[in-house]
Formats: sequence, structure tokens, C-alpha cells
Amino acid sequence: MAVLQYREALRAAMTEEMERDDRVFLMGEEVAEYNGAYKVSEGMLEQFGPKRVIDTPISENGFCGLGVGAAMNGLRPIIEFMTFNFSFVAIDQIINNAAKIRYMSGGQFDVPIVFRGANGAAGQLAATHNTSTESIYSTIPGLKVIAPSNPDDAKGLLKSAIRDNNPVIFLESEVMFGMKGEVSDAEDYLIPIGKARIAKEGTDVTIVAHSKSYHIAMRVAERLENDGYSAEVIDPRTIRPLDIDTIVESIKKTNRCVIIDESNPYASISSEITFQIQDRAFDFLDAPIKRITAKDVPAPYAKNLIEYYMPQEEDAYQACLSVMYAK
Amino acid sequence: MAIAVEMPKMSDTMEEGVLAAWLVEEGTSISAGDVVAQVETDKATMDLEVYDDGVLLKRVIDEGDAVPIGGLIAILGQEGEDISDILAKYGGGGNSAPPAAEEAAPVPAPAPAPAAPAPAPAAPGGRVKVSPLARKMASEQGMNLAAIAGSGPEGRIIKRDVEAAMGGAAQVAVQPVAEAPVESPRPQVEPSAPAAVPGGSYEAVRISQMRKTIARRLAESKFTNPHFYLTADIDMKEAVSFRAKLNEKAEARDLSKVSFNDLVTKACALALRQHPWVNASWMEAEGEIRLHKDVHMSIAVSVDEGLITPVIRHADRKGLTELASETRELATRARNRELQPEDWSGSTFSTSNLGMFGIDEFTAIINPPNACILAIGSIQEVPVVTDGVVVPGKRMKVTLSCDHRVVDGVAGAEFLKTVRGYLEDPVTMLL
Repeated sequence: MAVLQYREALRAAMTEEMERDDRVFLMGEEVAEYNGAYKVSEGMLEQFGPKRVIDTPISENGFCGLGVGAAMNGLRPIIEFMTFNFSFVAIDQIINNAAKIRYMSGGQFDVPIVFRGANGAAGQLAATHNTSTESIYSTIPGLKVIAPSNPDDAKGLLKSAIRDNNPVIFLESEVMFGMKGEVSDAEDYLIPIGKARIAKEGTDVTIVAHSKSYHIAMRVAERLENDGYSAEVIDPRTIRPLDIDTIVESIKKTNRCVIIDESNPYASISSEITFQIQDRAFDFLDAPIKRITAKDVPAPYAKNLIEYYMPQEEDAYQACLSVMYAK
Repeated sequence: MAIAVEMPKMSDTMEEGVLAAWLVEEGTSISAGDVVAQVETDKATMDLEVYDDGVLLKRVIDEGDAVPIGGLIAILGQEGEDISDILAKYGGGGNSAPPAAEEAAPVPAPAPAPAAPAPAPAAPGGRVKVSPLARKMASEQGMNLAAIAGSGPEGRIIKRDVEAAMGGAAQVAVQPVAEAPVESPRPQVEPSAPAAVPGGSYEAVRISQMRKTIARRLAESKFTNPHFYLTADIDMKEAVSFRAKLNEKAEARDLSKVSFNDLVTKACALALRQHPWVNASWMEAEGEIRLHKDVHMSIAVSVDEGLITPVIRHADRKGLTELASETRELATRARNRELQPEDWSGSTFSTSNLGMFGIDEFTAIINPPNACILAIGSIQEVPVVTDGVVVPGKRMKVTLSCDHRVVDGVAGAEFLKTVRGYLEDPVTMLL
């Protein structure tokens, strides 16, 4: 086990895959000469040269379209967005091209492309730079959506994403890039797409949380432990395809569920998980499912307001007590 | 706030209960869990517990009165509290109580919160709020939700409430109970139809709760389940000598003696393991047939008013002397009306034996939700032909009633073949 930062784990995944397969290349704003806006691709230009680590102009629709074309012609591009807020400029390339070409060509073209970069809120970045995009992209058939919460998952899942023959939206986070964690040093470390991780076993309430929210969930579970309650924490890791089986099995044991999700609440990941739970495990629920999400407004700029806007640990803790009828 | 004590559902087949005896006087202070009365159900006389603290303000019904499930039995509360609202709500209480205006007590003091949550039906709007899980648990246990107090928001019944109620004796879950077709001699019952009643003298006997249940459930089974019958004539020569040897040893070791009925129980229990479709239930509402993984044998026992069918759990895993002593103990407790719901619930197969009355063979009515029942006749000494020679033989006829929705002819016949194999060569039961 090596201790790596989240950004180092991502870099290790890309480097290993590029060493393994010369069809893989990285393209995006500032990924080469500047070593990446968040230093994820540091040193990669030096190692792989300008043909495989490519700086682009500020033109997301252009380089995303280029990436889709490259993927259709046998290459395996990794497209970095400085943040996923900028992916909206290329929404047609992602949703109408990447996600649908395999379907519309009757399977003649695979589109093995990874769109990766920082997702969600990261402090005082104001309304247009704070969007959680997982619910937007996971509603599109043809896309896979992954959102790892720690360096180990980031490495294992990014390697799997690069090898996948379908377009993958790979969601990272500015505030997690510096997070350190143990990363498996197994040769060719792959984590299967679509498999949740039970981060902590418990019997009284299931907390489902991905990406940054996962860390809130673990703190809440620890507080509950001190109160004498045993929470089970599930990190779905992959948003689509969702490992609903693991979640449902947990609900059958705990009978209660709280979802922490940084998305805006309407038609979000938590909405979808809630639907699937009631569809599959209605008779096992002892309380209505609760969710803690971002507030249903554009993200504010003011420090106190953006803090209030984001999912609060205290709210999640109270929600757990409430579904356990413990208060 | 005064609290209504209602008739709980004490068995799955119960529709009303008779207040057999009051154990607490009006004006007595009582606590949650106290037994205040005894209630006669269709199966047994059981203790009525209360779930709240307070003073017993009124005994609404008298001893001997019958009240349907959910009917008002008594009122708990603070001393001097006004109970006219509750009495009015229940239409004057149990079916015999007067409107009881004499209770018009002084103004109620600011109502202190009850120590325990009020029973669920008190929720505004009359709808019982219950979590999906609690609803499912209650349904599986045959419990009446109206008798469970909800502790969740707005009186919602949640998992822990059902668990608590399952622990309470008065609300123990009851599976459908067995009635088998024993025709024990009993007085004539007066038909209730007013016309065309034959004249002359007669003795009128009140229809007991047990007889009502037998009538309802057996009619339901016989008219709903498509019965068919398979009779087998079993050579009991080996079983007779096997049992004699066994009892010699059992006696020497001070163990229970084994009856022929115990041998049949054992043979059926072992055979059921090999024939899961006979150890099954037709669950119409659930849209499924359940093949039970455990073998719980119900055995019809005749008692004064009718019959009851205690259950020997995991009969396939028990030895012969263990089956013998357990059967004897259950029968004794049944005759003393000491059985509790858990003793007669959850069977997967039933037997009924009239051999001791010299009955050669008969057919039994299936005990729902079982798929089959085995009717056991007497062991007869009859001439049989062996190798072309008439010799004395010992034969016993058994008749399997099958619910054709679950069990087809061949399945029933194969089961009987296995039973026959065990009884004709009883040593194989020990393998």
C-alpha cells in the first residue's frame, strides 16, 4: 500500500494505461505545459510527449467533438475538463454524440472515451462554477458515470473507465485532489464499474453517499456509534450503472435509509435511489427515506451562504436519528 | 386523557372474545403490563394485559359478555376523568353496556400525557398509520394492527411496536389453527333458523367460540379447497413387533412409551422432507405456493368442546421417545385448556387418528393452510394372502386428503408410498 494524494492516484491510473496502450491519450486545457490546472497531469508531457498529452484552446465543444471522433476511429481519449461546469459548453458532443453514436450506428462504432475532471461545489466559486452534474449525466442512456470518494477508488475505477468501450463521465473534486489515502499497489489494479463499496457495516440505518458526501457519512456514522447506534455506510462509487442490489440488501437489514447527495435535490441521484429502494424493498422500510442535499437554489457566493447551501453533517445526523425514531 | 382498552385479536381465527373474569376492581391503579381480565377466545382462555398506566375507571362489559375485536372493554385514565367521549365514540361501549351517563365527572383537568402512546386507531381520521415493514410483520404474524399502539410520529406503528406486541402474551401472533374432523359425541346444537324447526323438547347449548371457529374454518376449507383422497392399506406386522421391542427398552430406561400414532408421526415427518410439495401451503393472496423447509406436525386432539391441534415443531428431527413424550404433554395441556397460541400455530402438515375408537378408515378435512392431512384408522387383524396362503395379518388404513391446488395425485401417492415404506420396515426410520 502506497499513500497517494487523490491527484496522484488519478495520474498513476492514466500513466499506467498510457504505458500499457499507446492508443490512450490525454487532452484538455492546460494539461500539458502547465502540468494541469490542479496538477493531476504533472510530468506527463515530459513522459509521453506532445502527441499524447495535448493542450487545447478554450473550446470544450471543439475538443470534445475531436475526442469523440478520435474514439470512433480507434483511439482511446481521456478528455479533462478543468471543471465539469465547463462541460455544459460541450453538452451536445457528450449527450448527442458520445452517448448515442454506438446506438445510432447499430453497434458499428464504439466510443471508448473518458471525460474527467472536477465536479460539484468547491467553496466560493459562485453559481456557475458549483454545479453537481451527476444527475444530469446519469439520466442519459449510453453514459456511465463514476464518482470516487478516495484515492484508491479513483485509481482502480479510472483504469477501468479508460478500458471501457463506452463513454464514461468520471467525476472528481477540487477539494479532494489533495486528499491522501492508501492505494493498492497491486499490479494492474482494476475496480469493476457498477459495484458499490460497503465502507462500514451496521445494523440500524443505511447511509448512502458518494464522492465528498461519503466523508460526511463516515463522520455521522462515528457520531451515531458514540450514541450507541450502528450505521451502515454504502459508497455507490458508480452512479450509473448503480449497484442497487447492495443498497437493497442493506435496507433489508437496517429497514431505514438516509442519502447524502451534493446534487440539487430535484430529480437527483437521491431521487433515483429513493425510487429504486421503495420499488424493490417497500415492505422492508420502517421509516420514510430521508435525504440531505444541496439546497434547491443556484449556489450562492457568500461564505456563510455557500456553507448553508451544502449538505450539513448535523442535518444528516439528525436525519439518521429521525428515521430510527430515536428523537 | 382517558384510554380505551379494546378487545385484542388473540388468535388468528378469533372474531370476538368473551370476558371470562375480571381480575381488577374499578378504581384500582394499574401499570402497563398488568393483567386485568381473562378472555375466552375460540381456542383458550387468555390473559388480557393493558399497555398503559392509570386507574381502571370503568369496566365497560360484564363477565360473560362477548365483544368483537376492537370493541370497548374498559377505560383507563386519571381518577375523576371524564370518559363520556370515549363511551360515546364506541357507541356506549361493548355490546351490553349502557351509555353510562352517570360518569359525567367534573371538568377534566389539563390532560396529562399518557405514559404510553395511545393505540393507533386514535389517530385523527381513523386511518391506522403503519410503516410498510411493520405492516408486513404484523400480517405475517396474523396480528391485528388496530390492537397495536404506535410510537412513531402521529401514532405510526413501526417495527419496534410490532416487536413489543409480539412479546406481549395477549397479542401473540397466531397462525391459522387446526381443526380436524373428529366427530366427538356432543349435544345437539339448536339451529338458529326460526322456521321449520322440528317441535318437541330439546336442550339448547350455546355455541362456544371454539365451535364457531370449527364451523367457520372447516366449512371454508371443505368448500374452498378442492379435496381428493388417497387411501393406503399398510402392513403393520413389522411395526407391531418393532414397537414391542422399542417399548421394552424404553421402559427399562424410564423413557416414554411409543404409540403407533408416534410411529406414524415419525414416518410422515421423515417422508415430508422428501416430498416438499406435500409440506406446502397455497397462499392465494400472496400469489404463491410455499414449500416449507421445516416440518411442523399438527396432531388433532379431542377436547370437551371440540378439538384443537397442537403442533410438534421440527418433528422430523426428533426421536421416537421425544415425539411420544411431547405428544402426550401437548394433549394433556390441550385437555386442560392450557395451550397458548404458539402451541397451535404454524403447522405444515396434520394428522388425525380415530384408530383407538375402532374406526377402520375415514377422511379428514384439510387444516388450512396445510396442503394435506392424514386420517389414521385402526390396526386390524385380517386374513391376508402371502405366497398363495391365507395367513393372519395386521393392517392399518390411512387416507391422505390433498388440496389439489397444490398436490396432484401422483405427488400424494408417492408421499404415501414413502410413508408405507417406513412403517412396513420401521428400522429404516432410524437410518
